Order: sequence, then C-alpha cells, then structure tokens
Amino acid sequence: MPQREHAIHISDLVKVYNSGGTDEVRALDDFSLTVERGHITGLLGPNGAGKSTLLKILTTLLPKTSGSAHIMGFDVEKQALDVRRSICLVLQQNAVEQYLTVEDNFETFGRFHGLSKSERRERGDRVIHAFGLEAERRQKAIDLSGGYKRRVQVAKVFMIDAPVIFLDEATTGMDPINKRATIDAVAEEARRGRTILLTTHLLDEAEELCDSIVFIDKGRKILEGDLFTIKALARNIVDVSVTYETLTPDIRDAVERIPARKREVQHSTVLLTIDSATASPHAVLGTLLDLGPTLAFEVRGATLEDVFMQVLGKEKP
Amino acid sequence: MRAHSPFRNVAAVMYREYKIRITSFTWLFYDLALPAFYLLLFGIGLNTAFTGGVAVGGAVISYNAFFLAGVLSMAGFGIAINTSYGFFVDRDNGIFYEFLTYPMTRGEFLFGKILFSLCITTVQSAITVAIGVAVLRVQISLPLLPLLFLANAVCTAGWFFCLSIFALRIRRNDLYNTVINVAYFVLMFASSIFFPLDNSPAWLKILAGANPLTWHTDILRYLSVGTGEANTVLLQCAAYAVFAVAVFIGGVRALRASA
Ligand SMILES: Nc1ncnc2c1ncn2[C@@H]1O[C@H](COP(=O)(O)OP(=O)(O)O)[C@@H](O)[C@H]1O
Ligand SMILES: [Mg+2]
Repeated sequence: MPQREHAIHISDLVKVYNSGGTDEVRALDDFSLTVERGHITGLLGPNGAGKSTLLKILTTLLPKTSGSAHIMGFDVEKQALDVRRSICLVLQQNAVEQYLTVEDNFETFGRFHGLSKSERRERGDRVIHAFGLEAERRQKAIDLSGGYKRRVQVAKVFMIDAPVIFLDEATTGMDPINKRATIDAVAEEARRGRTILLTTHLLDEAEELCDSIVFIDKGRKILEGDLFTIKALARNIVDVSVTYETLTPDIRDAVERIPARKREVQHSTVLLTIDSATASPHAVLGTLLDLGPTLAFEVRGATLEDVFMQVLGKEKP
Repeated sequence: MRAHSPFRNVAAVMYREYKIRITSFTWLFYDLALPAFYLLLFGIGLNTAFTGGVAVGGAVISYNAFFLAGVLSMAGFGIAINTSYGFFVDRDNGIFYEFLTYPMTRGEFLFGKILFSLCITTVQSAITVAIGVAVLRVQISLPLLPLLFLANAVCTAGWFFCLSIFALRIRRNDLYNTVINVAYFVLMFASSIFFPLDNSPAWLKILAGANPLTWHTDILRYLSVGTGEANTVLLQCAAYAVFAVAVFIGGVRALRASA
C-alpha cells in the first residue's frame, strides 16, 4: 500500500505500446520505485530506456498497462485531478505559448495554477530575473531561440508550490550559465521540501544534484541507491588524466599500448579509465608522466559514468 | 493545496484563448467580420439574380433575408473549425501536453475553449445581423434576437465537439485538413444554407434532412426571418440536441485518449 508520506510510489508498473502489434514495445517492465518527500531522485538511462514513458504515466498523460502508481498518495488514474494538483513538470519536448510574450506565458501559467494577481506578478518577476529573461519579457516566444524557449518552459515550474516536480531532460539545450541557474533552483526547491524526480543522461548533473540515483534500461530498474552506494559499485575504477604540452604521435602510440578499460584523447589531454584491481593507478600515472613534458595531471575515483559502464557494460548513455 | 474551482479553471482557459486571439488582427478579422463581408458580397450578387425572391415553405422572401441564416450557420461552423484546429497548433507547440497536466479536468479544458468560441460566435452573429438589417434591409424578429444568438452559439458548440473528435483522433494535420475540407463542402452543399430545399430532387432532400447543418440553419432561419413550421423546427432542435450530446461525449473521450 502506498503511504501518505511517500511522495512517489510505483509498484510493478508495466507499459506496452502497440500491444499485440508487430511493433509492440515493452517500454516499462515491472518497474517499482519509492521516493521520499523532499528528495531529489535522478532517473538515468540510455535513450529509449523508458524514462519519458514513466514520467508521462506519473503526470497523468499516459495510461499504464498494469501495475500501480501513486503521487502524494493519489492514484495516477483514479485520482488524476488530485495528482495534477500535486505536480508540475518540464516535458522533454518544448512547451511554450508561441504567440504570447514571455511575461504573458508566466501570466497564463499562473492563472491555470490558481495564483492571485499579486502572486502572478511577483513570482513572474522573480523567475524572469532568476532565468535572465528581463530583456526578452515583452518578446513573443515564437521569436526566441530554442535555448530561451526552454528557459521560459523551465522557469514556469518555479512559479508554483506543487509538492512534486518532474523534470524530463530539463537542461537540454541550455547554455552552461542557465544550466547552473536551473540546477541551483532545483536544489533550492528540494531544500524547501519539494520532491523532485528528474531524468537526464548527463551523469555529472545527476551526480551533483541527486540524493538517490536509479538506473533504468529497457524499461527495467537496473540499480538504485544513494550516490555513495552506487559509486562504491565502481570503487575499483579510477580515472587518470594527463595534459601534455604537446601531444606528439609518439606519445599517442605509447598511450595506446597502456592497458585500460577506456581511453580518451581530447586536444592534448589523455584520459585513461583503469581497474585498480588489475593495474596500479600510480604505475599508470608514472608511465604517462614519463612520456613527455606535462602541464597538469589528475587521478580521481569513479564517476557515475563509470558506474554506468560497469553496470550496463555500455558507453556513456 | 488551493480549493478546486471549476469556474476559475474555465476562466483561465478562456483568458488564454483571448490573449492569443488578440495578438493577431488577421484572426480577429476572420473570426468577427468575415461573415458580414460574405453576406454583403454574396447577398448583393444573388439578390439581383433572384429579383422575385425565394419561396420557402409557402412564404416568399428576399434572397438576402434567406441567406442571413445561412451565413450565420456557416460562420459558426467556421469558428468550430478554427477552434478545433487549435488542437494542432497547441500540439505542435508542445503546450497541449503540458495543459493536460494542469490542475483541471479534461471537461473544464474543453468547456473553457468552447465557451470562448461561443462569445466570439455571439459577437460575430451580432455584427452580421446588424449589417443585414442596416445595409441589406433584412427584416428580422427583434424579440427572438437573443434566442437567435443563443441558438447559433449552442449549435457552434455542437460542431466544435464533433470536429474535436476528428482533430484529436486523426492527429495528422494534413489529413485532418483534407477530411475537414471534404466534409465542409459536402455538408454545406447538402443543406439549406444556399438554396431552399422545397424544389430540390428527392435524394438531396433526404440527404439534407439528415444533415445537422440543415437543422442548424433552419433553426436560425426560423428565429431570424420566421420561415418554416414551428413543429418541424422543434423536431430539428431535439435532433440537434441529441447530436450535440453524442459528440460532446465523443469529444471528451477523444481528449482522454489523446495523450
Ligand atoms: N508513443 C509511442 N508509441 C510507440 N512506442 C513508443 C512511444 N513512445 C515511446 N516509445 C518507445 O518506448 C521506449 C521508451 O521510450 P522513452 O520513454 O521515450 O525513452 P527515454 O525517455 O528513456 O529515451 C522506446 O523504445 C520508444 O521507442
Ligand atoms: Mg526521454
């Protein structure tokens, strides 16, 4: 049974598209998850894993095939209106009022969510400021670039107090500064007690923001836990990187001969991911440093990306 | 959580439609003034062609007087098309799906859209009737005028629900366009919009008699210039009411299934 104190409770959720057809897709397969109030949970997985499908079911947009899902104790199908009153979301696809100005986008959104006139004005101004939209406030959304439209769409969820926020690849298409503004705003909302479920395939973003991480692949939950537990799964994985003054062909050839799980070369930086159970990070670093004059080096523990590789046996999702 | 207020939700939907509509002069012109132009151009042309007037159910009236109700019903149908087309615009903007997660019911969403269309229809009917009376000297029944506006608004709502089913089920813009163009042409031709059915061939009479656009037009004609049998018109009202309820249910179902 779902408990009132759980913000999100999902049990054996199944979603089959085009059921019975030749193009049948099992987008969610016995997926279960519980999210506590005030937590930020990151849903990570490669394209087509079923992340958007899950969010659409939780936000009353898509009927499930079987299983159950509750938001703040309300059934997403039987109590859809109560669920809608408890949530706000950023969809993966763009969602702005093209023909309205930026401020009217916020004005109409505020009306739909029952904000009073003064709240609409005050909160509209606040998000316009927070997302750097002052100069565009009187422009129609249709005249804005994709990144600005995305900002308008994302800014909307910070106007209202719905207890649960869903973000589907919310920072996609944003420049680093607005990505930062979004991440900070999300973190601030969680501190104020709101529950956030976000999907991303940017592991560093999830790593920075999330209290817990859920890996999903082919509609199935692969792994779940807090950041430290998850990273412990890849505790043998170490990233060693060295930046050379100039990356000569000789250095390149030598790097190719060092055994590693993964090898990346960007400009004059070489990044090797090694398994410390089979090779000593110090020895690898020493070898790399001996190859030529260097500008910088770094040795660090596993990132979520490494865990992802370890668990799924795949490259970056 | 704030209390759920259907009134506030419907008002928010209407406000949003209003804000979008006033951003474009072209839309306002199409919605409000085009039918009056239609009446003037068609009316003046055909009125001279039918100098002896047209015979409808025993009475003889000027073509302008006859055509007034046709323009009103045609324009109501046009507004319904434009409003249903809004589903595609919203869907392309992605905002359609976001709407469906706002704290309101599907019924409130549909009702707000329709109520806004009814306001537009009523303003448009008033402009068209005013032109008909002032410029074309059509004599209309003043006491029945509020009923005329109400009837056109309600019938337009019926068309909107009907077209919404297609707009939401078809999903493809181009296909919807084709379906609607063909349907519009057939429905208008096989109706009492342009000519009285009294002297039409039997097959056309049967076809037109089963066409809700004929009921719509005949109701408006009875209320504007008083042609037709009261009993027949009452029957047409009842038939249209059944049609409207059926398409409303179909429209809400299509909306529920559309995400
Ligand atoms: N409307 C749909 N009809 C059929 N298949 C779909 C539909 N939406 C998504 N899918 C399929 O379901 C799977 C999961 O998709 P999605 O939830 O969008 O994944 P993600 O958001 O993780 O990239 C994919 O195989 C996708 O092709
Ligand atoms: Mg997705």
